[in-house]
Amino acid sequence: MSYVEASGLAKKYGNATIFQDIHFSLRKGEFVTLLGPSGCGKSTLLRSLAGLTDIDAGCIRVDGEDITRAAPQKRGIGMVFQSYALFPNMSVEQNIAFGLKLQKLPGSEIARKVADVIRLVALSGKEQHYPHELSGGQRQRVALARALVVEPRILLLDEPLSALDARIRKSLREQIRDIQQRLGLTTVFVTHDQEEALTMSDRIFVMDQGRIVQEGSAEMIYTRPATEFVARFMGSYNLLTPTEASRLLQLETRGHLAIRPEAIQIFTPGQAYPAHLSAPLPATIRQHQLLGNVIRYQVQAHGITLQVDQLNRRAEDLLAAGTEVNLMIDQQQMREVH
Amino acid sequence: MRAELYHRSVVAVLILLLTVPVLATLLYSLSEHWGATILPDDLSLSWYLQLWQDSAFLAAFGRSLAVCLGTLLLATLIIVPAVFVVFYRFPGLDKLMNALILIPFAVPPVVTSVGLLNIYADGPLNITGTPWILVGCYFTIALPFMYRSLANSLASINVRDLMDAAHLLGASTPVAFLRVILPNLRKGLMASLFLAFSFLLGDFVFANLLAGSHYETLQVYLYNMRQTSGHFTSAIVMSYFLFTLFLTWLTARFSK
Ligand SMILES: Nc1ncnc2c1ncn2[C@@H]1O[C@H](COP(=O)(O)OP(=O)(O)OP(=O)(O)O)[C@@H](O)[C@H]1O
Ligand SMILES: [Mg+2]
Repeated sequence: MSYVEASGLAKKYGNATIFQDIHFSLRKGEFVTLLGPSGCGKSTLLRSLAGLTDIDAGCIRVDGEDITRAAPQKRGIGMVFQSYALFPNMSVEQNIAFGLKLQKLPGSEIARKVADVIRLVALSGKEQHYPHELSGGQRQRVALARALVVEPRILLLDEPLSALDARIRKSLREQIRDIQQRLGLTTVFVTHDQEEALTMSDRIFVMDQGRIVQEGSAEMIYTRPATEFVARFMGSYNLLTPTEASRLLQLETRGHLAIRPEAIQIFTPGQAYPAHLSAPLPATIRQHQLLGNVIRYQVQAHGITLQVDQLNRRAEDLLAAGTEVNLMIDQQQMREVH
Repeated sequence: MRAELYHRSVVAVLILLLTVPVLATLLYSLSEHWGATILPDDLSLSWYLQLWQDSAFLAAFGRSLAVCLGTLLLATLIIVPAVFVVFYRFPGLDKLMNALILIPFAVPPVVTSVGLLNIYADGPLNITGTPWILVGCYFTIALPFMYRSLANSLASINVRDLMDAAHLLGASTPVAFLRVILPNLRKGLMASLFLAFSFLLGDFVFANLLAGSHYETLQVYLYNMRQTSGHFTSAIVMSYFLFTLFLTWLTARFSK
């Protein structure tokens, strides 16, 4: 039984279609990520769910209740904005208490709830600070606390981490996921960062030009992209045109052939290789990039350049440009995409 | 070294130029007589006492305050919501507003006055010679100060996101405006109010042409007193000067 049900959502600004034909359903407590490039309509879709932007067509149901035309105040939806949107004239405590005060709760209850949520997001000691006195990560956690404290039915997060530096982003993303799971909160998270989507989500919706082009678990989306766009967007997939595929692998395809860089293995001459994979493909190393624990080689075979990732085990194993090697490609890991 | 000396002397001369007239006026207003000597004879506050006991002066001062404060109250009630609506609902209108608010400054006051006199001297709205025409006219003078200052305050916060966040937390639009937006406008509003106030209090042209002796404001009173003793008018000028100085100080405090 799905908790949130969206069907046929569409939105235009003038003649420009921002999104259309959006269908999805969310289970209660699920963490779903809307992943897509800049300008594909993620924020607009999120704002429509919250009731901040009108939609032209479609229907949104939460827990069986039609909220398509409900005012934002009546939807029970919380949102964290990319800009934080903290009230500059209020302290951390006042920001968080804002929603509770509007509910006219007794003061002691407000104080208790605010204290609880401040502990939850690890902001103890900052209660009296004003937003401009906080770091980016702290502001983001205040925004999260402010949205959480009113106990929304759904939490929407619009690129909450994109303004932060890499280290804080990683730790905050674990914190958000942890809090979400502890509270069992149905959450829609928007990002254009595929790594963020892969590490956090129960399910990912990939958006392109106002449409959801693929949905599925992180593993699914990563290993089995449905379209060329998803394959390109999810990482450094090798995409072979049908002619290249037949030249390189003698495979007849109608669409592009997508091969992940880590699904290709490199064997130096004389190195034994398992025969059950495919026929070895002679190739030449062109150059390499060090990505930390992984080395990404640019390898040329039959005039086609492929990217191949290898674990960076020992510095001595590094293959110099010009080295002749054999490639083995796991047929199971190839995907035909359109 | 020489350059520094030069800079210092330029500044010194400038300060001297600006302060000497004020100091001289102050001294003049404090002296009973100032005849053939370099310094005045007997210092006293008698001119001030006479001034502050003159009912015509107090009435004129009161009228000026009433017109200025009334104008600013009206302006606050109209302009604050208007700027908010422009920024929140119709951001495209900001350009138009910026052009509109320049008009009162682009047209010389005398031209404006003649036009206003033509329109409001008879016909359905016969308000020349009353404070109302001054309130209306002063409103257009206060508008640029207040609009620009409020617009700057609004531009420094993310109005749409703040309103959206407040809405999602359960606030209606008026509540969100009062609790979330308005407090951030306080400084800009206060600063522009003081600025507009001292500007309006100093107006002579409009007050004289539109209301004149029918509604004698401070500046018109000062003008009408020009034939009396110089010591007396000096006392008027100094009183006025100290009052605006005080306002300027308040402005500086509030715009920090
Ligand atoms: N109020 C509006 N009026 C007209 N066009 C708009 C409006 N808001 C958004 N758009 C357009 O809708 C498209 C999608 O915008 P949206 O903000 O939803 O993208 P996004 O996927 O969130 O991008 P990003 O990752 O950069 O935030 C953009 O092309 C944008 O120009
Ligand atoms: Mg966005």
